[in-house]
Amino acid sequence: MIVTTLKPLDEIMDFISPYKNIMIVGCDGCTQPPRGIKEAETLSQLLELAGKQKNKEFNFKIITMAKQCDSYLVTSILEPQTEGVEAILSLACGIGVQEIAELFSGIPVFPAQNTHFMGAEDREAGTLEERCAGCGDCLLALTGGICPVARCTKGLINGACGGSKNGKCELNPERDCGWVLIYEQLKKQGKLQNLKEFRPPRDYQLGGWRVMS
Amino acid sequence: MNKMASQKERAQVEEVINEASGKIYLPPCQIACPIGEDIQRTNAMIALLPPDIQEASSRIISIGDEIYDKNPLFPICSYICGLCEKECNYKDKTGAVRRRMLKRFLNDYYLPYLETKPPLPLPTKEKVALIGGGPGSLMCAYMLGKKGYQVTILERGSQLGGALRYIPKYRLPGNIMDTTIDALIRIAHIEVKLGVRMGTDGKTLDDLKNEGHQAVFIATGTPNSRSLTIEGKGVAGEELDGVMFGLDLLSDGNQGKLSPQLFQGKRVIVVGGGNVAFDVARTARRLGGDASIVCLECEDKSSRDGIPADIEEIEGASEEGIRITCSRGVEEIIGEGGKFKKIKCPQCISVFDEAGLFNPKFNYSDVIYLEGDVLLVTIGQAPERAFYQQEGLLDERGRLDIDQLTLMSNRQEGVFIGGDVRRAGFAAEAMRDGIIAAESIDRYIKGEDLKAGREKEYEGAAIPERKDYKPQPELVWAPVDERLNFEPFEKGFTLEQAVEEAKRCLYCGPCKSCKACVALEFQPDIPKIKLNEDLCIQCGNCVFYCPYNAAKLESPGAVSFNLSACHGCGLCIAMCPAIALDLEYWERERISTLISQLASEMEQPKILVFRCQWATFPILNDKPSPNIGYIDLPCASRVDEFHILEAFQKGVDGILVMACLEEDCHRGTGSRWAQHTVAKLKKKLAEIGLQDRLHFCTVSSRHPGEFKNELTKFYQSVEAVGSKESK
Repeated sequence: MIVTTLKPLDEIMDFISPYKNIMIVGCDGCTQPPRGIKEAETLSQLLELAGKQKNKEFNFKIITMAKQCDSYLVTSILEPQTEGVEAILSLACGIGVQEIAELFSGIPVFPAQNTHFMGAEDREAGTLEERCAGCGDCLLALTGGICPVARCTKGLINGACGGSKNGKCELNPERDCGWVLIYEQLKKQGKLQNLKEFRPPRDYQLGGWRVMS
Repeated sequence: MNKMASQKERAQVEEVINEASGKIYLPPCQIACPIGEDIQRTNAMIALLPPDIQEASSRIISIGDEIYDKNPLFPICSYICGLCEKECNYKDKTGAVRRRMLKRFLNDYYLPYLETKPPLPLPTKEKVALIGGGPGSLMCAYMLGKKGYQVTILERGSQLGGALRYIPKYRLPGNIMDTTIDALIRIAHIEVKLGVRMGTDGKTLDDLKNEGHQAVFIATGTPNSRSLTIEGKGVAGEELDGVMFGLDLLSDGNQGKLSPQLFQGKRVIVVGGGNVAFDVARTARRLGGDASIVCLECEDKSSRDGIPADIEEIEGASEEGIRITCSRGVEEIIGEGGKFKKIKCPQCISVFDEAGLFNPKFNYSDVIYLEGDVLLVTIGQAPERAFYQQEGLLDERGRLDIDQLTLMSNRQEGVFIGGDVRRAGFAAEAMRDGIIAAESIDRYIKGEDLKAGREKEYEGAAIPERKDYKPQPELVWAPVDERLNFEPFEKGFTLEQAVEEAKRCLYCGPCKSCKACVALEFQPDIPKIKLNEDLCIQCGNCVFYCPYNAAKLESPGAVSFNLSACHGCGLCIAMCPAIALDLEYWERERISTLISQLASEMEQPKILVFRCQWATFPILNDKPSPNIGYIDLPCASRVDEFHILEAFQKGVDGILVMACLEEDCHRGTGSRWAQHTVAKLKKKLAEIGLQDRLHFCTVSSRHPGEFKNELTKFYQSVEAVGSKESK
């Protein structure tokens, strides 16, 4: 999933202050918790309370959609709703915001979220961590399903750097050493020989900027 | 929302069928209890008792009445039974909830009341005779009495109680037994005839029919002690002076016929590995004897051939200095001058054969001799068969010919047989036979189908999710040097201990089969969760948050709810990002309407309190002041960001979320998640300066005073914020 966090309310207030009729668009897609209808609704409530303090009145229209990164969905769902809307506040990741901006160039669209990375949630701890760097050359088959590019702080692909201490990274002692995780996993699977395989330097072009659909 | 509460009939428990399996869904303890006591329900009620014993006592009596209705012998069970604890979901975590001790705690206040408990209406229906005065008959008598039958118990001996009378008084005090049995007889208007013999030298079944009895229940138990055998033959030497049956010792002991120093200076050997053998050995020890036990079974209780006595008995006996010699049989009893001297004990290699039948094998080359002055044989009991033979109730192979579902004899209509004579077991199992027979007799007399709807299958509820599991309290026994007498040595729970222990109950079973909250009149009924499939985005939040695994998301497919497992807390609703879920009686719309109404009625400063009903039920009906408005929730975890913000929008000045102490939370996780919701929202509110207007606190329903303190504190803090802002 794509991991996002809500922007400070002040910042959002600055975006929307010049407008009155604002549409908040939730996205049920890949964020966790989904920034769906309820998030759109509570954000509108918070902004309304914040507006009241500044004698600013908003008129919010609240909708949600399955995914804002799909141009077809964005057009078909938003188009009938935009009449009288002066600005759009998107709860999606940066992709959704750009999709709306491209398709509705006449209406200013603002992000309500900061987009961080592609990651997964540790529900018990209530945290989200990066899992995939979108490198375009997936190594997971060799590394026991643990990505060295995303989970080694240095993104090394040929084993640990030597700075790992008690399974933690030398750059951030809170962060697990990705290569220790890979080692433990391969050991469990009896595949430690995978570590002997040398991998040539990463080709940074593989991530690419456009692929065929 | 608690307006419908006073309708008492709503508190009646319901059978919950798990739609997936078609089986009756219950907590495993209730399935294990042969009586099917409403264990979860009454545990929940104990957990909510107030700390003041005067105040608690009337509630204790009504809890006792709840249990009594299903099990009029529960005061006795509370000393001798613990079958439910063997299946408790907590057992494999930190130890079963001590239900037996909880019931024993109720006794302390219930027994005095029992002597004055109002009787059932006088019976007007047909006459029924019950033969035998043990727990099976007593239970059958009560259940028939409840249905309005005129019941007569015919007992051969001089008192009622059957095999219960063998239980030593240090385990089951005599006054507990007497009070319980006397009350049952009085309450159900049972006619008791003592000293009545059945069979050739006494009454026949025809006699009973001629006296007008429409049906007969026979539960004569297993009064005969089994003699020692080896390789299918009797063991020589049982006639020696000093050799006796353990059961006779127990019976004489309880009737006060024995000298307290009977075995002073004597070495007493007890043969047998069951609980009764331990009763005998510990009785002998209390009569001054140097007691030891020898049994066929091995020490390892987990093995097929393991010693059958309860672990508490083994531990208790060991503490009292009783030696236990396992894996030994008795090949010969050897005497000297007509007096018992020693037993010859070959090693027992196995007790049960591959088919699971009792078929002990010995190694005769490994033999020890145990010397003693008294030998007490306690290796099991057998029924007296002559009466059954004479009445033609046995089959060709000499076994009782009974329908196992209805307990009616296949040989004679209207004759029902149960208890130990049918299958030797625990007292509660004999009691269950009594209940089954009472139902059958009622149907038989009414001419109804005896079997319809009685074959039931059960499924035990799974263990709910908890952050941690509280340790099981140790049983407190008097030290050995103080307990070698016939006074009970197990210390009962105090009110506080009982409440703490009841709170360990995980309430695993479905709400509808419990309804403690409905009975305590703070919840109108068990609410149903409602899913709007059109809105569901299948994010799985409900699946993650539900502590009861009631929500499921399978591939392929949408979210589905197992309503029998749902406990109606509403946590999933608060956590649903799609507003796809709702809860009966606590619909989102209904709460919104209430907020609008309260916000418009309240005087400033307006304080809105979201209260968990479990935490605040004793004061739910108190009238709030004009500044305060209450929204009562089924669990604090139902509190929703949306509703809090809505209240602020409607002009409320301060919002207090009141949950149970985390350790008290009926669902285990509700209080914690409510706190989480509030903390998350407070962070956002801090960005617009409203953080001091929202507060989370925990209170205990047992200390309603705390509620006022928390409210006053919060009220003052909101007032302070208000005046600061207006400056």
